[in-house]
Amino acid sequence: MSRLWRFVAAGLALLALGVGVFAQDQPEPSPAEEAKKQRQQLLEQGGGILPSDLYVAQGEELFKAVRGPKGVSLEGCDFGRGAGQVEGVVAQLPRYFPDTGRVEDLDSRIRSCMIGLQGFKPEEVKRSEVIAIAFYLASLSHEATVDVRLATPQEKRMYALGEELFWVRAGPRDMGCATCHVTYRGKRSGVLPLSDVVGEKVAAHWPAYRYSNDSALTMEDRIRTCYSNLGMPAPDYYSDAVIALGLWLAVQSNGAKMDLPGFIR
Amino acid sequence: MEIRRHLWWIAVLWAGFTLSQEGPFLQRLNEAIQDGGSAYARDLQQDADQALCSRYRDRLPPEAVEPFLQRQRSLIRYPAGGRLLGDWKQGEALFTNPRKGNCYACHTGDPKEKGAGRMGPGLVAYGQRGTSEAVVRFTYEKVYNAWAFQPCSLMYRAGVHGILSPEETAHIVAFLLDPASPVNANARR
Repeated sequence: MSRLWRFVAAGLALLALGVGVFAQDQPEPSPAEEAKKQRQQLLEQGGGILPSDLYVAQGEELFKAVRGPKGVSLEGCDFGRGAGQVEGVVAQLPRYFPDTGRVEDLDSRIRSCMIGLQGFKPEEVKRSEVIAIAFYLASLSHEATVDVRLATPQEKRMYALGEELFWVRAGPRDMGCATCHVTYRGKRSGVLPLSDVVGEKVAAHWPAYRYSNDSALTMEDRIRTCYSNLGMPAPDYYSDAVIALGLWLAVQSNGAKMDLPGFIR
Repeated sequence: MEIRRHLWWIAVLWAGFTLSQEGPFLQRLNEAIQDGGSAYARDLQQDADQALCSRYRDRLPPEAVEPFLQRQRSLIRYPAGGRLLGDWKQGEALFTNPRKGNCYACHTGDPKEKGAGRMGPGLVAYGQRGTSEAVVRFTYEKVYNAWAFQPCSLMYRAGVHGILSPEETAHIVAFLLDPASPVNANARR
């Protein structure tokens, strides 16, 4: 009997060694695999709740709460499919809104409604609230298909601006979005892999939760982070520059199924 | 006759006015950039060759290449005293510092540095080229202004923009070429 156990123990030890060697030979996991692993870990730690779920819940509360000088909720806000329609709207933004006369993205539209509908002053609109509401709306567009159309002259102009800005090389480091995300896509800058923002249809997973630094970000935040990484001043929130880039990226992502809120490194 | 001459002047003035206006697209682009905030607008002011690279998406038409390289060559400055090979230890700090050379973002240098990027060619054992005048000069000029060799290269013009002074550029050259520097000393032979 003891011989059998010794045999089994030796076998197990060999197996463990084999697995160890095998694990060492594995190449670096792809960013997608790594994200999947992290997501699983966070789910287990949080008892089935992801950090992004908390933002969604907070956003839902803010969205439905009667707030602001005019004492209304955001449920009457028109995100492009008519007042009160919130399913799938993120997949069709940015778009032109006649009431503000602007092409607006998700962030900008939430802000516009907080100002126009609820009566907040522009300086009273808190960034953290816009992000939470964006996460709530994103959760209602999960698995919708990205479908951003350039139906109006305003949208066509903004698309052209976005494309131009994407290819601009400027600043003290002669950089531009396309240098990394088209020409050098798939390579590594330091330890960070550069995504192919045209081919990978990246707009389909924004807004997103970033596990590497536990933060909730929208596409506007992400675009601004790119500029900061290049040592360049970022375009202001809700500005035409950042919306134009977002619109251009969204159109490149047309046809993709949304995975919202995104979960990224 | 008198009327004709007046008409001619009006036509000339009108043509001059029209041609001096920016295209509507450029005007809108500028408005969008201004709208992005004053610091953003300041940084997005391009010099002529940045504008060329943007317009042609980093692939210049053949006839534009030679003048581009010449303009960029003329921007290269050298240290007072002409010493292009500095101190490798100072060069290592500049190579590593993200606010200065930030070279590890794209290049391996010291093979022991694990966080090096892979966007540019690896530079481990770069010093095996020796330290002839030609090698030192090429290395100096490439680090100071990469666009003098490859138009619209991703490698930014650290010297031209003042991120590296001529003396600092010479220190980086030493980090690459000095046999005692980790770039060469740590290389497997």
